Amino acid sequence: MWVFFVLPGVLLLVLVLGFPAITSLSYSIRPEQAGTVSYTLSNYSNLLKDPFFNRTFWNTAVFVFLSVGSHMVLGLAVAMVLNTALPAKPLFRVVALLPWVVPDVVAGIIWKWMFDPIYGAVNDILLKIGFIDTPVEWLSNPTLALFSVILVNLWRGFPFVMLILLAGLQAIPRHLYEAAAIDGATKVQSFFHITIPGLKKMIVVALALDIVWEVRRFGLIQAMTRGGPGVLTEVLSTYTYKQYFQFFRFEYASAISVVMTIVLLLVSLPYIWMISQEE
Amino acid sequence: MRKIRTIAVYAAVLLVVFSCSSVMAAQVSLRFSDWHLTEDVWNKSLNEGMDIFHKRNPNIKVNLEPVSYGEKETKYTVESAAGRAPDVFHVHAFSLPMFFSKGYAKDLTPFIKKEGPGFMDAWYPLPINLVKHKGKVHAMPGDYMTMVLFYNTQMFKDAGLDPNKPPKTWDEFLEYAKKLTRDTNGDGKIDQWGFGTVGAKSPGFTLRFGPFIWSFGADYLTPDMKRSALDSREAKEAFAFFVELYTKHKVVPPGLTAMGAQDVRTQLAQKKVAMIMGSGWTPPIVNKINPNLNAFEVLKAAPAPMKTKQATAIWLSSWVMSPNTKHPNEAWKLMKFITSKEIELKWFVDNRVTSSRKDVSGVAPEILNDKFASVMASQLPYGKVEPQIKQWPEIIDTFTTSLQEAIVGMKTPQKALAEAHKRINAILAR
Repeated sequence: MWVFFVLPGVLLLVLVLGFPAITSLSYSIRPEQAGTVSYTLSNYSNLLKDPFFNRTFWNTAVFVFLSVGSHMVLGLAVAMVLNTALPAKPLFRVVALLPWVVPDVVAGIIWKWMFDPIYGAVNDILLKIGFIDTPVEWLSNPTLALFSVILVNLWRGFPFVMLILLAGLQAIPRHLYEAAAIDGATKVQSFFHITIPGLKKMIVVALALDIVWEVRRFGLIQAMTRGGPGVLTEVLSTYTYKQYFQFFRFEYASAISVVMTIVLLLVSLPYIWMISQEE
Repeated sequence: MRKIRTIAVYAAVLLVVFSCSSVMAAQVSLRFSDWHLTEDVWNKSLNEGMDIFHKRNPNIKVNLEPVSYGEKETKYTVESAAGRAPDVFHVHAFSLPMFFSKGYAKDLTPFIKKEGPGFMDAWYPLPINLVKHKGKVHAMPGDYMTMVLFYNTQMFKDAGLDPNKPPKTWDEFLEYAKKLTRDTNGDGKIDQWGFGTVGAKSPGFTLRFGPFIWSFGADYLTPDMKRSALDSREAKEAFAFFVELYTKHKVVPPGLTAMGAQDVRTQLAQKKVAMIMGSGWTPPIVNKINPNLNAFEVLKAAPAPMKTKQATAIWLSSWVMSPNTKHPNEAWKLMKFITSKEIELKWFVDNRVTSSRKDVSGVAPEILNDKFASVMASQLPYGKVEPQIKQWPEIIDTFTTSLQEAIVGMKTPQKALAEAHKRINAILAR
């Protein structure tokens, strides 16, 4: 009897998740040019020989590492501030969440304008306070381009981590801090011995979800740089999009998607393990 | 008696319901998608055009589906693959080879045959060739324009240049651009540049780089389109000339690799640059960005400068009928209407885009007497289009990647171009 209760859910999952995944997998093992073979692994072997893919993979790793790292640091810092007896706390919470509710593409377009070397607000402010002498080419300078995108992604993505960690902070009993203070613990000691252990599970959740989202981050980068200059800001999601919808190489794009999925599954393993342990 | 009356009332209601449903069934709904629907001036014009179509064809209802310029190929590819593409949609000509090869464009030959002999004679031969797949017309040509040099006459005067003598060669162009690159407010910093152009990876790049590479006597590919032709001396000169406008002569504003077509038009509208490459759409858009510039008065157009020969890029859009349309005859009626002489002229009057019809662009006084359109029409004999092969989007992306690497100083122009040449050959050999 229980089968009938779970059947609708299973069917829905198969339809919305299983079907596209299997279609993508089947595309990835089809040859790009119609020939004698029906199935091939050439799309995967071509990935290894593609210098742009290798560069893109590296860019993605740097982008995700720095984005997630900075989200964790800033997210935790803001969550701790918002967890104190701050006046007008609800207002600050809403303000801190604002970057997160802005759609990716809109954020990308706004920041592209703000980084414009001629009209951009960022250069204007820095010039006025005397921090720079000449306008900086934030999105065209080979050294700065990727870091400029990461900076915007820091602003865009930290509220999500902040929300999760704030929930975790509120669950830590106050009396632990009070007891530690009576025992003479400093604030730094309380942070490392009470706050961090108390947030361990939340940190793993935030890390796993943020990594998955940052690997998939697309609209922001596409709107800001389209992967340029050169391929310096090209990441796996923009490269897949390009292969699929600009070059119409469906089979090759599917192979990249499959590799991305495998990487994401590997990254998510600790999270999946933690959830299964809890159950 | 009451029973009879009741039955009569029911019968009357049923009759009305059936009559209405038969009228509704007779009205065919078509889906029409165009990126122009997202642009103010074009949107108004298209809606007016559809009002005329609806009056003449009360049994057809056209539903308009806007799409952004950058996303149109994505939308139509996904919808075509799912068999749910709009009945009629508008694409840039360079997308056609892919739509043709995937079977996403209906063969229009049967409809054209029904129109009678000579129906397609009203169009220029080049656009007709571009919309053919395996010898058969699979799309109808739309806007057909050449890229020309737009310049601000007031900024020319302010820099001591004669606005009636625009640069004719690239050497002259460089001299003009240097004079137009100035510090206008006396703070010791350059705040106006001679030339604004697209350096981002966007469809607008090819149109603006075409006049450079082709007028230098070079080309992207060999005539058989089997190999890259970027190892020629002319290609190296054209590539280096373009890169050095930014790196050596500094006549182009900073941030070139992030600049798309709209950014460049904004620079012209805000008097940050004095010259840009553009076409029919340029004056209305620039005017919209900054009405205070008085674009229709202050701007002028001139043929693209030349090196060894006169050459420029051609913009062609085209109308595609989805093979999945359930109403091919009505869709053809719509396509015939939007590409008719009367409506093509309306598109020009409203939006300043010239037509691929000879009997519009070649003879209409509205076009021949227009200070911008007349220059564009005069350049049609020198116009070229990008290679119409399905690998083209990947080839031009590879080329732009190398160009950007040279612009930002990661590689020398020679090394960057050599790498593009090698990669393009690898794409073509695949």
